[in-house]
Amino acid sequence: MKLHLLCLLFLLSGSITVVAQQRVAGNVTGTDGEPLIGVAVLETGTTNGTITDIDGNYVLNVSDEAASLTFSYTGYARQVVEIGAQTTLNVVLEAGVALDEVVVTALGIERDKKALAYSVTEVEGENFSQARAMNVIQSLSGKVAGVNVASTATGPGGATRVVIRGNSSISGNNQPLYVVDGVPIDNTNLGSAGMWGGQDWGDGISSLNPDDIESYTVLKGNSAAALYGFRASNGVILITTKSGKKRQGIGVEFSSQVRAESIVNHVDFQEEYGHGRDGAAPTTQAEALANGLYAWGARLDGSSVMQFDGQSRPYSAVGDNLDRFYETGVTYSNTLALTGGNENYNFRFSGSALNNDDVTPNAGLDRYTFSMKTNARFSDKLSGSAGVTYINEQVDNRPRLSDSPGNANYTAWSLPPSINIEDLRGPTDKLGANEDGTELQFNDNAFVTNPWWGAYQFDADSRKNRMIGNIQLRYDIFGGFYTRGRISVDRYNFRRTNITPYGTAYSAFGQMDERSTNFQELNTEVILGYDKDVTESIGLNIFVGGNQLRNKRETLGIEGDNFSVPFLHTIKNLANQRSIYEFKEFQTNSIFSSAEIAINRAIYLTATGRQDWFSTLTNIDNTSDNDKFYYSVGASAVLSDIINLPSQVDYAKVRVSYGEVGGVGAAEEPYLLGLNYVIHGQGHGGNPLGGITTDPNSIPNATLTPLTSQEFEVGLDFVLFQNRLGADFAFYNRQTIDDILNAKVSSTSGYAEKVVNIGKMENIGVELLLYGTPVKTADFRWDVSVNYAQNNNEVVSLLTAEDDGESIRVEESRTQNAYIEHIEGLPYSQIMGYLYDRDDAGNIVLDDDGLPVRGELVALGTGVHPTSIGISNTLSYKNLSLSFLIDSKSGGYIYGATNAYAYFRGLHQNTLVGRESGIGNVSAENVEDYYQRVAFNITEEFVQKADFIKLRELVLSYNIPKSKLGNLPFESVSLGLAGRNLALLSSSVDNIDPESTYTAGNGQGLEMFGVPQTRSFQFNLGIKF
Amino acid sequence: MKFSKYILLIAALMIVHTSCDDGFDELNVNPTAGSEIDPNFQFTWVQLRTSGGRYENWRANLIYSSMMMQHLASTCSYWTGDKYTYNGSYSSSLFDRAYNEQVKDMQDLINTLETKEGSDPTMLGMAKIWRVVIFHRLTDLYGDVPYFQAGKGFLEAIDFPEYDAQQDIYMDMLNELEEGIGLLSSGTGFGGADLIYAGDVDKWTRFGYSLMLRLAMRLSQADESTAKSWVTKAVNGGVMESNDDIAFIQHESGPEGINRNGIGEVLDQANGFGDDCPRLSKTMVDWMLATGDPRLDIFGKTPKDGGGHNGLPNGLDETTIQDNPTGTSADSSFSYINPVIVTVASPMIFQTYAETQFLLAEAAKRGWASGSAEEYYNNGVRAGIQQWVIYDASLEVDDADVDTYLVANPFDDSFEQIGWQYWAATFLNEYETFANWRRTGYPTLTPVNYPGNVTGGQIPSRMVYAESEIGLNPNLDAALSRQGMTTDFSTQMTVPVWWDK
Repeated sequence: MKLHLLCLLFLLSGSITVVAQQRVAGNVTGTDGEPLIGVAVLETGTTNGTITDIDGNYVLNVSDEAASLTFSYTGYARQVVEIGAQTTLNVVLEAGVALDEVVVTALGIERDKKALAYSVTEVEGENFSQARAMNVIQSLSGKVAGVNVASTATGPGGATRVVIRGNSSISGNNQPLYVVDGVPIDNTNLGSAGMWGGQDWGDGISSLNPDDIESYTVLKGNSAAALYGFRASNGVILITTKSGKKRQGIGVEFSSQVRAESIVNHVDFQEEYGHGRDGAAPTTQAEALANGLYAWGARLDGSSVMQFDGQSRPYSAVGDNLDRFYETGVTYSNTLALTGGNENYNFRFSGSALNNDDVTPNAGLDRYTFSMKTNARFSDKLSGSAGVTYINEQVDNRPRLSDSPGNANYTAWSLPPSINIEDLRGPTDKLGANEDGTELQFNDNAFVTNPWWGAYQFDADSRKNRMIGNIQLRYDIFGGFYTRGRISVDRYNFRRTNITPYGTAYSAFGQMDERSTNFQELNTEVILGYDKDVTESIGLNIFVGGNQLRNKRETLGIEGDNFSVPFLHTIKNLANQRSIYEFKEFQTNSIFSSAEIAINRAIYLTATGRQDWFSTLTNIDNTSDNDKFYYSVGASAVLSDIINLPSQVDYAKVRVSYGEVGGVGAAEEPYLLGLNYVIHGQGHGGNPLGGITTDPNSIPNATLTPLTSQEFEVGLDFVLFQNRLGADFAFYNRQTIDDILNAKVSSTSGYAEKVVNIGKMENIGVELLLYGTPVKTADFRWDVSVNYAQNNNEVVSLLTAEDDGESIRVEESRTQNAYIEHIEGLPYSQIMGYLYDRDDAGNIVLDDDGLPVRGELVALGTGVHPTSIGISNTLSYKNLSLSFLIDSKSGGYIYGATNAYAYFRGLHQNTLVGRESGIGNVSAENVEDYYQRVAFNITEEFVQKADFIKLRELVLSYNIPKSKLGNLPFESVSLGLAGRNLALLSSSVDNIDPESTYTAGNGQGLEMFGVPQTRSFQFNLGIKF
Repeated sequence: MKFSKYILLIAALMIVHTSCDDGFDELNVNPTAGSEIDPNFQFTWVQLRTSGGRYENWRANLIYSSMMMQHLASTCSYWTGDKYTYNGSYSSSLFDRAYNEQVKDMQDLINTLETKEGSDPTMLGMAKIWRVVIFHRLTDLYGDVPYFQAGKGFLEAIDFPEYDAQQDIYMDMLNELEEGIGLLSSGTGFGGADLIYAGDVDKWTRFGYSLMLRLAMRLSQADESTAKSWVTKAVNGGVMESNDDIAFIQHESGPEGINRNGIGEVLDQANGFGDDCPRLSKTMVDWMLATGDPRLDIFGKTPKDGGGHNGLPNGLDETTIQDNPTGTSADSSFSYINPVIVTVASPMIFQTYAETQFLLAEAAKRGWASGSAEEYYNNGVRAGIQQWVIYDASLEVDDADVDTYLVANPFDDSFEQIGWQYWAATFLNEYETFANWRRTGYPTLTPVNYPGNVTGGQIPSRMVYAESEIGLNPNLDAALSRQGMTTDFSTQMTVPVWWDK
């Protein structure tokens, strides 16, 4: 509250009047002739001043010495006018900085940007459509300070991890709430890969069409998002879709993109020794099969050597198998939009098609989106809007990741340098198959799948039909009172098919699973509000409201194994079939209110409150504590309107706020309060089977509550030098308390995890946005924008309140010697691994066989980057513009399991050492023992700093001038060329991309055999009729 | 009036809002689960889970135990059990699964039966005996393990159970067996829900005493007097009397994994489970050829390449096999496992009458049991040869063939001979083969010395705990130091368990 008083003092000092000797009066208007209300009029160089009234008039008594008056108004260029002998000064202010902009805030309420006591960043939708990523939200990477986008290596339609201001929940959801035109949309990851493999089945945000999006508004902190209550703790991204505009006739907009994509290959494996073991090449087919994954053979000499298929081929390096295997991905996206409207209504309809062939052979995505949005004013008092979006998305062959079964990537990365991946295609048209149609094995481990078989014979398809809709009515009752009602729905059906084909080495008769999930969330919201300037200097904006959220997810499916008819992959052909049924439903009832007081349109005080009642925390007797209260308070002061700042300052605002909100976790997980027993399987010998549920396999807790996040934020915005330089600075301190932990417990307790309500975590950080226009001439303009964010995270306490070094394990690598743990006193997501055992002098301790001994299990660094920097430059000359974005993250680490396997198999460059001479006691033939000991025992060897700098985007665009279009029936035509992930400018990670990770979940910092990162080039065409 | 029309519209929205409000208080009741379970359902579940899934049967039972015990051999790069190299997840596989899948529900069921009024004491008796089945296998394989506090994450909020000394576990298990048998009364307990004996109390009693005999004999080296007194108790109580008393679960081919035999899920190629790696070990084939054992054609199939039975030597890989002293090197030139005994619908055996007779033969030789060691031995051999008929009727061996075998291989009154027969009778129940071999040292197996082995060329003496326990369960360190172990698990397989003296 101290700051509030300070602001008031500023205000008071501004209105203290010195002895007046001259009276000046006048009227202030904009260039459109409309009066400007609340313009600050100051006797230059003094604190003597006033503001204009509702008609733009002012009267000011000035001293004799007064030479000039300074007129300043947010969003307009400041003007200094000589007084001379005049007593009437009428001034026209020119719109300058677009600072008087209105922004969409929580619950879709529009507010003056200068009124906000917290950081809000808006990004124009155009920024997401020029250099596209398959998942629209990946384009946010590097563009907003404090917003961290992890690019997962999971193929088309995979999920993306977006985290704002650091991870605030230790093991719960850390991703923001997405709200599209007021509809909270589901962003559940429908399945991701883990230690034992699997596919990424995508999330909710990825299916939006970038061409329909007008803008993104990022509500970063608790205060900004407070009205979302239990869903606010990770921030909120509000997405506003495009609306029609008043125009003559019907406008037609067509935009088209073609994008070509290829893998970014950082692999640099050894090419001197071929397949084999013990320094020798295989001599029999059986031996070649047994050594199919090992490059511990003899020095490549071009001689004829036996391979897995009984053929002898030259024993020489075959070149890059990754480049051979992955293809050039091609994506076409086309959107046609019709818009129109008059004073009372407008509409926009769009249809869009996206067709993709992925870099992974035989994988791709097709998405069709139809969207309709109308706004209408029925009378002076009644207005409304309705919107509906239908999305149909089909993904073919989502690639398997991480562990080997069915994972084509695994094998593509793993072949010895003397084996050509083309030779694994097999003798027939059926890729990866033997003559009899079964899998052609190239090694003796049935679980390491032939990559062609994995890519072409395995199947992991999904279809999603989604509808997002909302209807809203607003009635202006009288004198500033209004009421608004809104119903919004997000519903989809997600159907997935996952086939392990007949003839697969590890599953000779195959397996299949089909499941269909129906999801629906319905929100009903009513608001009663009051928005009016009650006096010339005091404005009020108050509302109260209620919301009910009902969320239901139901899955029905069949899975089974053993296809009776060979190679006929349908459910009915399974000899063994099992049913799948899952059901979850919850409801949250809320009431909320918000109040904003504006004083002289320069000082704003705001407060919000929200009470949530959770069905998930309600026990059958309704005796449990099932509600939570959340609130925020804040103040902002537009200094440039209050005090006399140097004339170079166009605008300056300080803000301060505090918010206490919740996180989803327990609030959206029903049935966790008690132990649940379920019927397992279909019985045995006629006897039903039943027991404690294994999903989740966690110790239940009857007293769970949602986590609480408390955040204090201060910030400063300013614009200098006639809009040539601007900055937005924020500092925040966020504490998460009562976090819900799925703490790993000893498996000997009978459970894998325990649900507890105890964690505490801290995120303290700064965000800085600097933007400016260093060069501006009539034709040429150079805009630059730099955003910087530093977030210092610390896990404060876990299972007990004390900081005593406790840790919880959230993820494990397939190599079983690297883990992700959260550890008290250290940042989130520590990569835990084993060091070499070293003697006091620091030498690696060797055992009797001369092999390194495993040392301590220690934290080797966080998997989450604390620092991020984005630099974007736009150079425009007339209608031509070139922009590029450099994206950098630093301070985090990555455990490269791919490199560990590359050691184990003798692929890594480092494993060349000692092949001829041995290592210490280890003879040259047995040198593989040395590296294999290191591979899965010494984690530190494979943990590397994951800092990177990437040229993330490059966009060249040209708007053909109207004059050049001549008689053509176009309003405008634009052409563009764009590239994405064009260059990795700096990285210190061997063989893999520093951003490679196979999950969008909380276990960040583990990598293993994902789809390589891709680089893309795109051609854009936009036409308006 | 226009105004009221719009108010009505807003009110309509409110109605939609409130009409959804039905049942807020009941919404958190899981419609797909219950808050309690029929003890019958849970007992059947626990029995099936004790038979085990593919995961641990593959890793701990087959890859490690059967290969170390030289029942099977393989040159595949991941069938490394007979090379004495360390694979953490293979080694800890039973430990990883048993607490979660067997112990938790077992403890929960016993808690229900002990606390719920009107519970059937016979059910409790059977449950207590079954709990010993679960735990003795764990402690035999891993030494000191969580026992008293295990599986009680919900019941007693124990997240990190203490590891109990194997001696304490054995003493309690013996007491529990006695108590469990004492609770068996008239009635059928779980009845048909009992997959072993369909609730036959007499068979359960004999099974309980046979387990008591097994546990007591396990202590023959570590605590002779205790061993002897419990042997006496078991014999007086009455152990298994014939192959009709064999404790086994009959599996089914589906529809789900839980219905199937875990070994079958590894080896049953006819049903799509395609691990073709293991062959019969040369140790077993040679011993059976030398004695004219009719079981050779029950356990094995002659090589695909033709010719008679040919065992694969242990400790070879695809490279070293090319120097195989017997001259053949192709995988197909060695004897296969008979697919008939490793189907997904095969029985899973926990204890046999034959084993019991061999234990009695040994006890008689030690003077701990009355009766003739030779008679027990001969009964054991006969039962051990004829018991395979429970896998398939075609595996029946008639008495005359057994007689011939016994004439050719008469009892020589040695512990070693008993050891060989016990070893053969427990084929596929490799946990038991491994435990009895460690205790008695018989049969005498020649270890291999594969490059990179972690035991100094000795057959391992145990499997090692889950590596995930390191740094997670604070009670692990006490157990390690008590047994003279370190957290460098890759080198701990040579540390003997308490009863292995």
